[in-house]
Amino acid sequence: MSTLPVPPETTDDTRPVATRRDTRAALMFVTPAVLGLIVFVLIPFIVAGWLSLHRVNLNSPLPAKWFGFEQYQRILFDADTRGDFYRALLNNFTFAVIVVPLQTGLALALALLLNRPLRGMALFRTFFFMPVVFPMALVAVMWRLIYARDDIGLFNSALNAVSFGQLGPVDWLGDPKFALASIILMSIWQGVGFQMIIILAGLQGIPGTLYEAASIDKAGRWAQFRHVTVPGLRNTLVFVSLVTTIFAFRLFDQVYILTKGGPDNTTTTVMYQAVSSAFDTGNVGKGAAITMVFVVIVVAITVIQRMVLKEEREIS
Amino acid sequence: MLTASRHTAAGHHTQGDYHMHVTRRRITIAAMAGALALTLAACGSDDSSSSSTPEGPATGEISVWVHGGATEAEKKAAQDAVKAFNTSQGDITAKLQFIPDQQKVIGATDPAELGDVVEADGEAMSSNVYAGKLQTLEGLVSQETLDNQNTSVAAQNTYGGDGKRYMVSMFDSGLALYGNKQLLDAAGVKYPTTWDEAWTPEEFTAALEALAAKDADKKVLDVKENYGLSSYSTYAMLPIINSAGHLVLEDEKSEGALDAPESVAALTSLASWKKFTDANADDKAFVTKRVALSWVGHWVYNDYKKALGANLVVIPLPDFGAGAKTGQGSLAWGISKGSDNPRAAAVFLDFLMKDPQVKAMTDANGAPPGTKSVMATSKLYAPGGALELYSTALQNSCGDGEPTEDCIAVPRTISAGWPTINAKLGEAIANAWNGADPQAELTKAAKAIDQDFADNDGYAVK
Repeated sequence: MSTLPVPPETTDDTRPVATRRDTRAALMFVTPAVLGLIVFVLIPFIVAGWLSLHRVNLNSPLPAKWFGFEQYQRILFDADTRGDFYRALLNNFTFAVIVVPLQTGLALALALLLNRPLRGMALFRTFFFMPVVFPMALVAVMWRLIYARDDIGLFNSALNAVSFGQLGPVDWLGDPKFALASIILMSIWQGVGFQMIIILAGLQGIPGTLYEAASIDKAGRWAQFRHVTVPGLRNTLVFVSLVTTIFAFRLFDQVYILTKGGPDNTTTTVMYQAVSSAFDTGNVGKGAAITMVFVVIVVAITVIQRMVLKEEREIS
Repeated sequence: MLTASRHTAAGHHTQGDYHMHVTRRRITIAAMAGALALTLAACGSDDSSSSSTPEGPATGEISVWVHGGATEAEKKAAQDAVKAFNTSQGDITAKLQFIPDQQKVIGATDPAELGDVVEADGEAMSSNVYAGKLQTLEGLVSQETLDNQNTSVAAQNTYGGDGKRYMVSMFDSGLALYGNKQLLDAAGVKYPTTWDEAWTPEEFTAALEALAAKDADKKVLDVKENYGLSSYSTYAMLPIINSAGHLVLEDEKSEGALDAPESVAALTSLASWKKFTDANADDKAFVTKRVALSWVGHWVYNDYKKALGANLVVIPLPDFGAGAKTGQGSLAWGISKGSDNPRAAAVFLDFLMKDPQVKAMTDANGAPPGTKSVMATSKLYAPGGALELYSTALQNSCGDGEPTEDCIAVPRTISAGWPTINAKLGEAIANAWNGADPQAELTKAAKAIDQDFADNDGYAVK
């Protein structure tokens, strides 16, 4: 919202006509976005809130029935059923805590590597960006073969070759110890190109004169990186880590295709549970309640993150 | 593949339009007679006179929704059947449509918008009837059609709420172990060939150990893990619970049935075989002879036979205490509740369930025929046929009763709550297979199933 054109502050109120015109223009600019938010976010959100308080089932002739906070009770407090949700939340956090710094760091490294005037650089950049272009569903199906648990699996045969047969085949997606790590690895591979492109754009926005000035001051490569590149990329990095965090909490496709949340809930996510509750078991009320709880959590995280990592607003 | 299928569908569509055109405009009788004669000659003789309707002949156009995930051969058989129907008589025109992801589409479609004739998963029948999507076939299709259905599919297609038949099946399904005789003999493993002699879990473990001793990677069993156990297992592994003497629901309750000690013991045995199991990521474990045993359904027979020839043997699934059990049930056909021409739809179903159509379809997919008359003459499934083991099981279906020693094939729970059972049970089996505690998993699934039934007022018919 803060990127919207803000009408100039008028303390003396000597040009009311211009202000009014500015306000009208601002309203006009903001209308499509607000309409979109109302139709696609606000209304569904209100409906989901209503659904979460009712018994509503797909493919059922029974009318919706008032259920109170029963679904929330089951998701958050009932000892028999709450385990799933907390496990999913833990997985989401684990995923975010590992993926956000790792993926951002890797994207930065790749961007630095690919920000050199070399012949055929466009080709290299394309290669690193390519996984982003493929739909996650397609990537996940390919990685299912890579992660296959017998020795035909690409990873396992590589492991076998490198270790001269010492390291046996690992059940990447079926072993509770490795399943989430496997999902994380493929997610980073698939997603890193996107952040890399954004950081690359950020890098190219840093004026070359700053580096020249730094080298005149006898700053080494490391000093240049620390004192010119990183500060120059600050806003980009803040944006990238915010977006990655939100993506991390939306984790769904790869889990749905590769593990269905298993083994033993080690890869289940909140989104996965919301979708499978609503569409596999037809329990729309429960699915809605999960999303309601989740919205609160994600909004809280985003607000905290924004407070901690303030973007620098002023335009030089 | 995709382009090819689109061509076939498009080609068929044009032909359908042509027939419609001809019937509507009544161009020359000679042309019609010529076309009729040609097609009749092409698809062989069948008597279309017995399509009995209560009052006057049914007429008009009906839409036929066919499972879009079918194989090319099955699609072609369905197209041929519709074509033959349209040329066999002039009163009713059937229009075929392939529906992708058909169970989700049926779930999300208003009954009035569904096709008049709908092909759907047999195990979702109750759920579809409960949701008001299907109408009973009794009084619509001929008694002869209903009587000719095998007892196994007749049980699967009967709704518990009113005891009436809502679907008819062209084919059925079954599970067993396929064995590689050469590998079994080399390891000195004696194997059973009838349901009565089925291995106990201990004997099965011993057989796997003997096979593993002769195998380089010790992986000697395939359970089609590549299909995705979290959904496939509710078909493929449910028989172990049944063979332990239990159903998912007993007296409308899952706790105490699904997680009874016998059920837990059966799932524990199953999970203990993972260490002998080839992950089968390439779906070729059995045909490339990496494994000696494959726990799977009838549908792989043609591929397996081609790969192994005379070395292919069919072995019953293990007996977990209450007699060996196997699965049953597959896609079936019904009439939508909102159909504005149910009588014409019924005439179509009567035609579809006749021998030539059923035979063509089961020749195309290798499935056990759903009708008595075709089962009796099937090369594979009739007594003495290579897959007699399956037909024996299907002819001794437990229906929706307790799985006793006397019956073999058990349908998936015939209940409107099946979608929940499917999700929860699949999760439990997959988790146990991956090392979780079978007792805890089954109890958790049973509680979730019971809670869902309570939430839905027991899925009682109103």
